[in-house]
Amino acid sequence: MRTRAARFTRILSRLTDRRFLPVLGTLLTLVIMLILGQIFFSTRRGGFISMPLFSNLLVDNSYLLLLAVGMTFVILTGGIDLSVGAVVALVGLVIARLLTSGVPLIPTLILAVLIGTSCGVLIGVMVQVFGIQPFIASLAVMFLARGLANIVSVISIGITIPANGRTDLYPGQAQFAALASWSIKFGEGRGIWRITAPMIIAFTVITIAFLVLHYTRFGRTVYGLGQGDGGTAVQRMGLRPDISKITVYAVSGTCAGIAGLLFALYTRSGYCLSGLGMELDAIAAVVIGGTLLAGGSGFVLGSVCGVFVYGLIQVLNARWGLQSWWAKVFIGAVLLVFVLLQRALTIQRTRRKQAALVMADAIDPEFR
Amino acid sequence: MDQQSPVITIRGATITFPGVRALDGVDFRLYPGEIHALMGENGAGKSTLIKALTGVYQLDSGEISIEGTPVRFTNTSQSQAAGISTVYQEVNLVGNLTVAENVMLGHEPRVGPFINWRAMRKAAQDNLRRLHLDIDPGSQLSSHVIGVQQLCAIARATSTAAKVLILDEPTSSLDRAEVEELFSIMRELKAAGVAILFVSHFLEQVYEIADRITVLRNGGLVGEWLLSDLPRFELISHMVGKSADELNAIAGQVKSEDLTRLEDEVPLAQAIGLGRRQMIEPFDLELYEGEVVGLVGLLGSGRTELARLLYGADRPDSGELKLKGQPVKLFSPRGSLRKQVAYSTEDRKREGVVGDLTVRENIALALQARRGPFRPIPKKELDAIVETFMTSLDIHPANPDLPIKNLSGGNQQKVLLARWLATAPELLILDEPLRGIDVGTKAEIQRIITDLAHQGMSIVFISSELEEILRVCHRIAIMRDRHKIAEVANSETLVSAQIFETIASGGRTS
Repeated sequence: MRTRAARFTRILSRLTDRRFLPVLGTLLTLVIMLILGQIFFSTRRGGFISMPLFSNLLVDNSYLLLLAVGMTFVILTGGIDLSVGAVVALVGLVIARLLTSGVPLIPTLILAVLIGTSCGVLIGVMVQVFGIQPFIASLAVMFLARGLANIVSVISIGITIPANGRTDLYPGQAQFAALASWSIKFGEGRGIWRITAPMIIAFTVITIAFLVLHYTRFGRTVYGLGQGDGGTAVQRMGLRPDISKITVYAVSGTCAGIAGLLFALYTRSGYCLSGLGMELDAIAAVVIGGTLLAGGSGFVLGSVCGVFVYGLIQVLNARWGLQSWWAKVFIGAVLLVFVLLQRALTIQRTRRKQAALVMADAIDPEFR
Repeated sequence: MDQQSPVITIRGATITFPGVRALDGVDFRLYPGEIHALMGENGAGKSTLIKALTGVYQLDSGEISIEGTPVRFTNTSQSQAAGISTVYQEVNLVGNLTVAENVMLGHEPRVGPFINWRAMRKAAQDNLRRLHLDIDPGSQLSSHVIGVQQLCAIARATSTAAKVLILDEPTSSLDRAEVEELFSIMRELKAAGVAILFVSHFLEQVYEIADRITVLRNGGLVGEWLLSDLPRFELISHMVGKSADELNAIAGQVKSEDLTRLEDEVPLAQAIGLGRRQMIEPFDLELYEGEVVGLVGLLGSGRTELARLLYGADRPDSGELKLKGQPVKLFSPRGSLRKQVAYSTEDRKREGVVGDLTVRENIALALQARRGPFRPIPKKELDAIVETFMTSLDIHPANPDLPIKNLSGGNQQKVLLARWLATAPELLILDEPLRGIDVGTKAEIQRIITDLAHQGMSIVFISSELEEILRVCHRIAIMRDRHKIAEVANSETLVSAQIFETIASGGRTS
């Protein structure tokens, strides 16, 4: 029994580890918001907290989940990727243009995701090989992708079931439209909710990302890179910081590619101005989710929570009947609070580091 | 031992960095089952040699062979695969990962591509227990003090069945008991046939544990000796490249003189009740021309804070400071510079040298700052100044156009000294000028300080190493807990034990 007790306290101390503090903060925020919603917006016919709520949250934010997951990888290494919003637009337009010109669905989707990957690799190579600041490298790719999107088309291209019924000429378009409206339904009446393709894709990616970050050497290297010594320590441990860094941006780009697909499914169209500022939404969600912008600390699941907070603010805002810009005000306020919280944590961390150094000096053999 | 063949043989190793030949045709051999000490001053090439062995740097010429087979490492994982594990001088671990990961990552137990956390924590714990370290392997590394982190690095190095173990200054942040622990493990490994390469600044430790010694100087090989054949003093003279007599001469020079002070002499600087809340309690201090005053006390006792007030880097909130009898009103580094007060910082890397600028620019920095941005120093004048100090301080390599980051720590320190000397200060404050500097350069800088005092400069000297203070200073102010608790005159009879007693008792006995 004593060993079990010891094990329990050990697990408890691990759970209350300061690393989890920011994420616990995010969870708390989420819970408070849900409770507020439950108090103010429950009707006799159903509570605010319900499966339809979560289902709708996921439908409206699946692409943001993808972006946040990719962004988490990048921010963990201490980098940033500003290109993802533009990549979403580019990928959406490429999908729309290809499908409406008769290209089959599967090759289109593969190409779409690969466009995202190559944008990421481009940033990664600029950052790692040429030593360019991630901010600038991804800014360049952002302009590049946005520009290319405009070259593909300056007007919105809808992806619908061909009106003339020529599904044989545009097989991909029809399949895509079918995929967009496909869902598994649960419940009935007002309690109806569904699982859609984007949800399944998003959850698959989140699971893979979690496994990769926590259970592979690459994932741990990502955390190691975030300590901000240019990868020296990681390299001395015999890991590969250079390849890992490029891979991180490739992951982010790939996620942006998939997010582009999800956004196209969501809007059933491609448009060169979609995804404006979406990269900032993703960064905000990641930071609200407890990931340190300086790198080295954070969790994929935290970012998922961050996206939920983000989405829930908008839902609550709409239910309250406020204008949509108030949602931005609230998101800004929440972000501000979380950044200040992070700052407090990092200050404490450096203080402790200094204290450790002082102690090391105090036990200097010269003084014994 | 000699009938065995060496596990590592290095022949003619040469590595050149822009402008510096870090290694110059060095031969080296390491036998299984021996502890081999690699000795040399800062910048002698020890770390470079180790980094060549571990694949961080590549040789420009020469060859490394392991058990007779020539190898060429282009990254660290290759050398680890060849059976070389290393503990680097600075703790080179990842603070935001767990202890277990830091010990095991790179050879962690896995299921397919996935890390088996349970097995990894178990293996890490076993390795840590061998060092008698019982910490939760699932805890974050940065939550432990530096000494423990250093032990984790050692646990990491000993966790693989390595043929060769390289320990670069592993003891610098360990306490006595931990050092003993490390030594007993080193002996175990040695008995098991592991070849250990050991680098340390502490001669005591080298003589306690090593079997054989290789000495480097300025990137070149001086020689290889069995420990039993090499008395300490001879080792030092090999490292420094000076004969024993020369060393003795430098060391014994200072203390014998006596300073006579005129009754009515006005102190160069006088602090009356000078203090700043939360930094240092109000203190009195008088500094006279031609005098070296030492500040001693533990780290964090307020030494640096006192110096910063004297220099004007911080503004006092009580008391007053008089320079040559005139009260100082405006506290700022620039103002102090104009009044010919100079302060050389303890944090050489962060507050001192500007790594990407050349030696010449680093020397000119303070002088230029005093002249202001619109009056550049004439090139001829600057060249003369740089030339003078590079020769008088013997800065090596003697090329003022090298970026200062390519110089060794000791030489960087000399450049810093030159920077402040170039402003011809009347009061020079040196905060830990000898930290991380080897024996020879230490003696040299001590000599320079003494010479400067002879020429009438007033010097405040801060150091953690009491022996240095006792050797150089005329008067010693003792600090504790942000208080100046005592002031003693240095004399033949004063020994470090007395000062320790004063610190321990809080200054009541004196």
